[in-house]
Amino acid sequence: MQKKMTGEQFTVPIGPQHPALKEPAHFSITVDGEIVTNAFVRLGYAHRGIEKAAEERNWVQTQYLLERICGICSHIHSTAYCLGVEKLAGIEASPRAQAIRVLVAELERIHSHLLWLGVAAHEAGFDTLFMYSWRDRESVMDILEGLSGNRVNYSANLLGGVKCDIDSAQDEAIRKGLEFLKERLKHYLDIVTSDALFLLRTRGIGVMTRNQAEVLGAVGPTARASNVAREIRVEAPYSMYMEIPPIIILETNGDLEARFVVRIKEMIESCRLINEILDYLPPGELTVRVPRRIKPAETIMRVEAPRGELFYFIKSNGTDKPERVRVRTPTICNMTSVVKLAIGSQLADIPVILAGIDPCFSCNDRSVLVDRRGNKACIWTWEELRQYGIRYYYGDRT
Amino acid sequence: MEIARNLIALLFFPSGLFLLAAGMFYEWVDRKLLAQYQNRIGPRWFQPLADFVKLLAKEEIIPEGSNPYLFIILPVIALAGGLTAALYVPVFGVPPAHSFNGDLIVTIYLLSLLTLCMGLAGSNTMDRFSLVGATRTLTQLFAYEAPFLLALLGPALAAGSWQIGEITIYTSQRWLILTQPLGFIVVVIGLMGKLELPPFDAPEAETEIVAGALTEYSGRGLALFRLGKGVELVVGLTLIAAFYLGGVSNPLFFLLKTLALLLVIAGLQALLARLRIDQTVGLWWRYGALLVLVQWIFMIGGRMIL
Repeated sequence: MQKKMTGEQFTVPIGPQHPALKEPAHFSITVDGEIVTNAFVRLGYAHRGIEKAAEERNWVQTQYLLERICGICSHIHSTAYCLGVEKLAGIEASPRAQAIRVLVAELERIHSHLLWLGVAAHEAGFDTLFMYSWRDRESVMDILEGLSGNRVNYSANLLGGVKCDIDSAQDEAIRKGLEFLKERLKHYLDIVTSDALFLLRTRGIGVMTRNQAEVLGAVGPTARASNVAREIRVEAPYSMYMEIPPIIILETNGDLEARFVVRIKEMIESCRLINEILDYLPPGELTVRVPRRIKPAETIMRVEAPRGELFYFIKSNGTDKPERVRVRTPTICNMTSVVKLAIGSQLADIPVILAGIDPCFSCNDRSVLVDRRGNKACIWTWEELRQYGIRYYYGDRT
Repeated sequence: MEIARNLIALLFFPSGLFLLAAGMFYEWVDRKLLAQYQNRIGPRWFQPLADFVKLLAKEEIIPEGSNPYLFIILPVIALAGGLTAALYVPVFGVPPAHSFNGDLIVTIYLLSLLTLCMGLAGSNTMDRFSLVGATRTLTQLFAYEAPFLLALLGPALAAGSWQIGEITIYTSQRWLILTQPLGFIVVVIGLMGKLELPPFDAPEAETEIVAGALTEYSGRGLALFRLGKGVELVVGLTLIAAFYLGGVSNPLFFLLKTLALLLVIAGLQALLARLRIDQTVGLWWRYGALLVLVQWIFMIGGRMIL
């Protein structure tokens, strides 16, 4: 490894392989002693060509593909897609199916935020909180497993409805699990707002003002911690959220502590929502029939993923395959804020600031083909993209 | 006969093999306790030994741009420092193998040798993570060293001697933790700083700088450094137990008192989040040094009144 020295400053590379990052991304951090003077991010190490692959598969197959964009928030991706396709086909799932969709989405939010809580605590060097929050995460994983049979890719959605139903035994298991979780979450809220040493690492660190959050286009809990009331479940209620509106959790400080508090309070709010859905759960069929081919049309779908706004654009062309599916995940919206906040902070705070947005790198990697020599517009086919990928990993990087 | 006795003391007991085994045992107890506090299962009893054997068997890579002699000799010096320090300390509850007037100061500096060697090892390589880690290691050394030294001199002042053997005779009838509680707090936390245990693990914060100063070390060098830390843990615990907890006059007391101390230290590791290096320095000079000075003022004031 060569040392890049310019005066008193040198560059610390973080990633694409680094203990702080469980996914590949490259951050070049220029430091003067311990103070960061410049930061640069390079994404794109985990491009998988999913959007292109979606064009090669029929509507049903595409749903299973899109569910695999994110390992943590798989359900919200398929929810966005299913709602979009149902809108295109002009049908609507039954109220019971909608309620179960929202229920699984809220369980997923709890599971995602608890995972984040552990990771963020680990980045700050508080391993005990990491271990305990992941232990408690098991209870929500057990609920999801009982509901759908799977712990990670629940595959609860279908075009036109859901796959799994809730009977009285499951109802009871969910309520019991949530009761336990609520107690634990209150305890964690107490820890992150009162533990003196942990507060040294979170209070007043990585402060993003309301103005900055708006200019940088932050979304989700990251924005809400800076007092920006951006919440798709309230702004543009979809599925069941019209009947069961969530309360927007806002914090004013915009520092890391606020991001911890927002996420933990959101989990408590999710527990309330789930209990309400269980009380309300309307009877009815689980699925409605969706046509095989969908007439040419296009639509957008916005949903609130655990990390923030998830945006889907879906275009149909009258066949049984989508013409185009475009996904924008929340991490890419929040990434600019990391680079902005990193400058001027301490090197030791970089991992926590990065973890503060709850990054999910492989979800946001896209590629665009730009032909600078020729003037013709050029769109690759799936086969060309595949061949390029094979050539690239054999070392021919042209 | 004298030579044989010295050789046994150096190579087998109390320093040497016995101490190495004890170092591994205490490392395991520490890891197991921490795991239990964190709701994990923790390693099995032979894990430190297995790690050591594995590291010895591994290829040692000497990175380009570093001085190879220094790279190899530094871990040896670090371990030797810890083993030598054990000769002047009543480890395992037996009187020190060697003793002379002022050996307390020598012991404390032999214990610092490990940190110095790690700092040098980090700055010897061209790796940026090592360089940042080495800077942090040495910065931390300057932070805790003075309060730690002053806190260990408290019992010496009370006993009126700078010889560990004489101090332990004085402390074996008195629990100095009762008369010098502030010094005890500083010395325990100082030992945690010395061993770079959480919350003072900024020099090897894995989420920022991978493994800090030792990033480039693999195989034998890493094994020796880790062993050195284990030895230092035992020697440090012995010193604190002997000075503050009513002495370690027999092996049973030694075991009970050092393990009780380790219980406290592991608990603190589980409770506290990592401090940034500037916060560590601030903590030591703002509170650590102050606490020790208050302790000293009380002691000297008490003497003048009596």
